[in-house]
Amino acid sequence: MVTLRISGIDCNYGSIKALDNVTFSVRGGEFIGILGPNGSGKTTLLRAISRTLKPRVGTVFLDDINIYDMKSREVAKNVAVVPQETIATFDFTALDIVLMGRNPYLDRFRTESKEDIAIARKAMELTNTWHLAERPVNELSGGEKQLVIIARALTQETRVLLLDEPTTHLDINHQISIMDILRGICKEKELVVLAVFHDFNLAARYCDSAMLLNNGRIFSIGPLDAVLTGENIRKVFQVNMIVKRHPITNLLYIVPLSTSRSKITPSKDMIVHIICGGGTGASVMKTLLEQGYGVTTGVLNTLDTDYDAACTLGIPVVNEAPFSPITEEAHKANLAMIEKASVIVVGNVPFGYGNLKNLEAAKVALERGKTIIVVEETPIQQRDFTNGRAQNLLSELKSKGAIVVESCGEALSKLETLENELLQKS
Amino acid sequence: MKYSDAEAKYFKRFGRWKIILILLTLTLISTITLAVTIGPMQIQPLDVLKVIVKNLPLLGTFVKGGSLPLQEAVVIQVRLPRILAAAIVGVALAVAGVVLQGLLRNPMADPYVIGISAGASLGASLTITFGIGFSLLGVLNSVPLMAFITALCTVSIVYNIARKGGGVPMLTLLLVGVAVNSFLLAVISFIEMVSGEALHVIIFWILGSFAVCNWNYVKIALPFVTVGVVLIYVFARDLNIILLGEEQAHHLGVDTERLKKIMLACASLITAAAVSISGIIGFIGLIIPHITRILVGPDHRILIPSSALAGAIVLILCDTIARTIIRPAELPVGIITSLLGCPFFIYLLRERKGSAIW
Repeated sequence: MVTLRISGIDCNYGSIKALDNVTFSVRGGEFIGILGPNGSGKTTLLRAISRTLKPRVGTVFLDDINIYDMKSREVAKNVAVVPQETIATFDFTALDIVLMGRNPYLDRFRTESKEDIAIARKAMELTNTWHLAERPVNELSGGEKQLVIIARALTQETRVLLLDEPTTHLDINHQISIMDILRGICKEKELVVLAVFHDFNLAARYCDSAMLLNNGRIFSIGPLDAVLTGENIRKVFQVNMIVKRHPITNLLYIVPLSTSRSKITPSKDMIVHIICGGGTGASVMKTLLEQGYGVTTGVLNTLDTDYDAACTLGIPVVNEAPFSPITEEAHKANLAMIEKASVIVVGNVPFGYGNLKNLEAAKVALERGKTIIVVEETPIQQRDFTNGRAQNLLSELKSKGAIVVESCGEALSKLETLENELLQKS
Repeated sequence: MKYSDAEAKYFKRFGRWKIILILLTLTLISTITLAVTIGPMQIQPLDVLKVIVKNLPLLGTFVKGGSLPLQEAVVIQVRLPRILAAAIVGVALAVAGVVLQGLLRNPMADPYVIGISAGASLGASLTITFGIGFSLLGVLNSVPLMAFITALCTVSIVYNIARKGGGVPMLTLLLVGVAVNSFLLAVISFIEMVSGEALHVIIFWILGSFAVCNWNYVKIALPFVTVGVVLIYVFARDLNIILLGEEQAHHLGVDTERLKKIMLACASLITAAAVSISGIIGFIGLIIPHITRILVGPDHRILIPSSALAGAIVLILCDTIARTIIRPAELPVGIITSLLGCPFFIYLLRERKGSAIW
């Protein structure tokens, strides 16, 4: 099995350092995703490994042979590259292009043999491009062209495959099919595959392990869930991400929340406490946070969607054990938190005996002179599972002056008017 | 595994290439024969063949029949060397054009783009104006010799200015070539201004002509062009691959810097050899590669030999027109190539509007 070892390479473009002491090694059959912000050195790393850009220091070994000591043709027999995009001039057919992958094997005066054509055909059948064999490449679509280039890389019969964002310009269907093919080949032929990705989810889906590059250095390398953590991504990309396992596919999935620069201290004095649960409050929390309000929430059960959201957003939250009714202790903590808030938003949340205490907390707040906004997207009758107790509490709130709105959006604009009134008063 | 259409067709193309080359070779032979018959003295095509074969080694002994001393003199001493010179120059310009268009990946490139024409013109006009007269081994006069030397010097200056680190970026080379060309043209214009009576000679030389070509010219140019063209053909597959860009060519095992060096050296050498015996004949090096590409496809393994043959055929035809159309005077052949070549090329471009020519 082949081993690719990158040993302490530094690469420069003029005086600008693009790679700084990058060291790692990969064994055949491993599919590694390289991620990092623009300019972090991803493509440069591939160029160094494909011997396109000679490192200033350090080198690349293939089974302990320094590739910078090999002949061009020898390198091309071992390392194939699929670039981001190929600009095809001239009317070469797809088969012509794929056969160029046999170049390192052909003597100068030999034309392609039947074996060469057979190898090209196999690669084209594998990438579903054989039917395009006689078409001029410059008439193919971007996705078809990329598949042809991948077929060419396979025709080189190398042990290392370098992919530079191979599917960036492709639609989702082509993305998935190309990545499926590449992963299959990686496993079947025990190739080393290094692929640059911009899409975390694509990387998470297809890679065995990942590498995060930042400013030309390896920030983190290893198994996917060790590398692609919210923490790492925040540090490297300055973006807050939700990193979770998808309940159906059990794959990591990563969704950007906001750039962490906007996740700053609240710019407004007003603190809003949100009573929610089951995902009814997450988007309100995010919006309020972005608009500069201080936001708190509770009581929420651990594992609740809104609880996760609050944690990800860094919002103070009073929590309760999973699937348990609110205890007196949590209730008190909630009241203490509510005390600091000036507005309480009661979300469109179903009430059962477990979370009825939240409604009671709202009542206490109202009695203490806080403003209450009740969001009523669906009538309370439909989401009352307490034999009317929630209904009673809610109508009591309404009669004592709680503001009722029909949607979260309306609640937000209500908040704004409230804030303006407050400002005018002071 | 079923032997599919695409595979069969791929191998069929090699057969097709052979047919193309055979047809072009036959056309070249007939063109030469035809061109030899035309002139102030009409000579029958059969007589032409008879005279030529008679003068070939070995084969000559098989030719029987009456001798044709006058025809033989005209054919062997006057027309044949001139026509062969045109053929050699046509081959050289067309092949150099193919190479430069491929290397530069630029459809507007021609053999002169990296400074050869201006360099050669400078040497020629200096020699003509200041009457530097010498000859090498008594076979070649000073104008072609100086043109050859200054052409190669200019190319090497352009190459060295464009060189950066270990390699030569092709776009820089192109731009430096354009700049040096303009600079030298200014110098040449100045020389023309002060050249007085020599002006006419300079202009005639720069426009290109085969009027003075004798066997010595053929003997001098032939080895350079033969070696250069053969060497270029050896790298035909590499030239195909470099069309995908240097980085991808590199990934496919092509030593791009070495390829560029060898190809530029060969193209410069054959162009300089051509230019030094004929002057600056325009358009052949630009349009013959394009026309051939339209007809035979982009693969350099067929593009190079067929461009070479087509270049020879076209230039012989143009020279025949140039020397007969205003008899007894002659037009510079460069005027004919451009006058006829441009409209034909534009016609081809318009015909192929649908798909990209390049």
